Amino acid sequence: MNVIDTRAIAPHAPGPARWAAASAPPVGGGFHNIGEIVIVLLVVGGLYLAVTRGRRGRRGAPHDDTWVPREPPPAPPPAPLAPRRPRAAVSFDSQADGWAVETHGLTKRFGPNVAVDGVELRIPRGRAFGYIGPNGAGKTTLMRTLLGLTRADAGTVSLLGLPVPAERKRALAGVGAIVDEPRFYPHLTGRDNLRMLAAARGGDAGQRIDSSLERVGLTQRAGDKVAAYSMGMRQRLGVASCLLGDPELLILDEPMNGLDPAGMHEMRTMITSLADEGRTVVLSSHLLGEVERSCDALAIVDRGRIVRQGPIGELIGAVGARSVRVDCADPARAARLIDEAGIASGTSLTDEGLTVTLPAGTSRELVADINRRLAAAGISVYGIQEVRASLEDWFLSVTTRLGEQP
Amino acid sequence: MTSPAPAVATPLPRRLAAALPTWPLIATRHLELRKRRGLMIVVGVVTTGPTVLILGLRLAFHLFDPAHYGPAGYPGQFSTAASLQAGLGFIAAVVVGATAGTSDLNDGMFRHLVITGRSRLALYLARIPAGLAILLPAVALAFTMLSLVTSYESEPQPTSVTMNANVSIPPYLDQAQLQTWVGQHPQEAAEAFKPPADVIAPRSATRVGTDYTDYITNEVSEFNPPVNEMAKTGLWVELEVAIGFLVGLGLGSLTGQRAVSGILLLGFELIVTPILAAVPIPYFLDGQRLDFGVAMDQLRPVYLIASSDIGGLGNVVFGGQGTARVPPMPTWAMITVIVAWIVGWSAIGAWRMMTRDA
Repeated sequence: MNVIDTRAIAPHAPGPARWAAASAPPVGGGFHNIGEIVIVLLVVGGLYLAVTRGRRGRRGAPHDDTWVPREPPPAPPPAPLAPRRPRAAVSFDSQADGWAVETHGLTKRFGPNVAVDGVELRIPRGRAFGYIGPNGAGKTTLMRTLLGLTRADAGTVSLLGLPVPAERKRALAGVGAIVDEPRFYPHLTGRDNLRMLAAARGGDAGQRIDSSLERVGLTQRAGDKVAAYSMGMRQRLGVASCLLGDPELLILDEPMNGLDPAGMHEMRTMITSLADEGRTVVLSSHLLGEVERSCDALAIVDRGRIVRQGPIGELIGAVGARSVRVDCADPARAARLIDEAGIASGTSLTDEGLTVTLPAGTSRELVADINRRLAAAGISVYGIQEVRASLEDWFLSVTTRLGEQP
Repeated sequence: MTSPAPAVATPLPRRLAAALPTWPLIATRHLELRKRRGLMIVVGVVTTGPTVLILGLRLAFHLFDPAHYGPAGYPGQFSTAASLQAGLGFIAAVVVGATAGTSDLNDGMFRHLVITGRSRLALYLARIPAGLAILLPAVALAFTMLSLVTSYESEPQPTSVTMNANVSIPPYLDQAQLQTWVGQHPQEAAEAFKPPADVIAPRSATRVGTDYTDYITNEVSEFNPPVNEMAKTGLWVELEVAIGFLVGLGLGSLTGQRAVSGILLLGFELIVTPILAAVPIPYFLDGQRLDFGVAMDQLRPVYLIASSDIGGLGNVVFGGQGTARVPPMPTWAMITVIVAWIVGWSAIGAWRMMTRDA
């Protein structure tokens, strides 16, 4: 039997000094005195301290903690978020420097259910882009697939011109994202959470912690544990985590969830300002009004498929005829008059007054003609207001899910 | 529309470098674990608490009533406390490992970390030094206290090992040295190592091992361990703790559930392993030897054997089978089993981390 004889490997030495009187033969090898053990323990302790010295600063000044090299030159100044290209007009034509996001035939299945069904998506750079759809339409799954958080069953993805997952690391270096509800270590402060994400991101992300916190208005609460944060503060911390890498592309999944009206306004302003800096912001939401206010272009998804995509103005304008609301003294008589003149596609009387649907392609002169005819007939006109189709109207017209609900 | 840029194969050295955790990543991972107050309390209480309590009480009793209470340090004390440290340290290691392996998932941070683009393997590997940096110093602290008390707060050591009540043999001899002593002192040796009454075979080379076991049995019960044996014992305890952590980490990463991982591992260590170590199962000995607890027992330092509650002193002491009653395995097999547990569970945990949907 082959066994280890530990004494043969390291024969015994005399014990500690207090045992020196004993007649133990000094046969050498191994540890000779207690000092050697102390040295070993000091080395272990040193390693421990080295690891725990992961951050600079005093316990009493947690707000001053930032990453610094161990033997560094003076710490570089905090890296601000770099200004980017000014916001340009939306174009879905071919882009010289590639699309911010481009997918072809992207498909993701969960068993028999197809969450993302052959999605063809192109998001132009430097714009705020909305990705909207009813609950369960596959928005979050698409986000996760784009970011490589889950594997696609078919199709291709490229972020900032780089294929994912082949060049995922390079692509994600320019991407900041929050997917689903922003959750963090509740026992750590907001700043420590960002520190951990900055360490994972590498580069000079650690130097952007302060500027990111300032950008989202969390500087004063950065030293508090996340467990004490409200939902809105967590959302803002999520956005701050996105900004650590000074990203060219931000993917925000339902960032308005849980926010009160003031928080939604702040978030909307932030998204707009990020897009104004030339960053591409992809905003996934089911809050149509927020998307309409924040974004320049959008795609609408239903049952895993892209139903429409393009600039918001073009998409809504393509819904159908324009209409005007006429505020006058005698709406019923005015409606008869307009119908008899045959200058409108139709009229309708509601509690809000008279709505006149104009034929497609009509000019503003038709509105002036209506005003003249009513005045000539002795009907006092108090105002004529154009009624624009809202994103919600358009959304309802192109999706089926909501229409199926009772 | 532009077509996606073609994928460029990354050179292997760069890929390997990307898979290694950076220092800030390790440090922040350590911070994340260290800031878990409940976990740190558990680690402190389990690893150092019993040692502080036992030694503190014995020191206090001896200080106030030395006539009735002996010094705090003595051979049995060292063995008992060190064995306790190993057992409780393993429990703490499993808890820390399972926590480190599941915290990202449970707290929802896994997704954030993956989105940074950092290699998932690097994220996994960063947990290892971070967790060990918490556990090993805590266990080392407890063991250092025990070693110091044993060394400096004990009775003066005898000058020789007493065999059969009247034969004195120099202490701290290894097997070869004992054999030499036996050759030089045949009469004392015959008296010291009397064979049992039912054994009538003459002294032979095969008896040397048995004589050595008898000699060590007496030495361990009479002498405090020398410094190098203390060091070996400490390293063994640290190895036991490190394995517990790595297995806990791997299992935690695999299941994603801290409680399940902890219960499974503690059940295995506290119930299955003692059974496998104590009861040789016919035709299944090799299967029993696959249990890392059995392999670690074979590596158990001699000064941890005397007070074992499993089977008392084993029939082969040094590097032999320790306290388990399963016949010892070859050294290469013992090392293979231990390494396989470390590498295997680490690989399983890393694989799950790399393939898990975020």
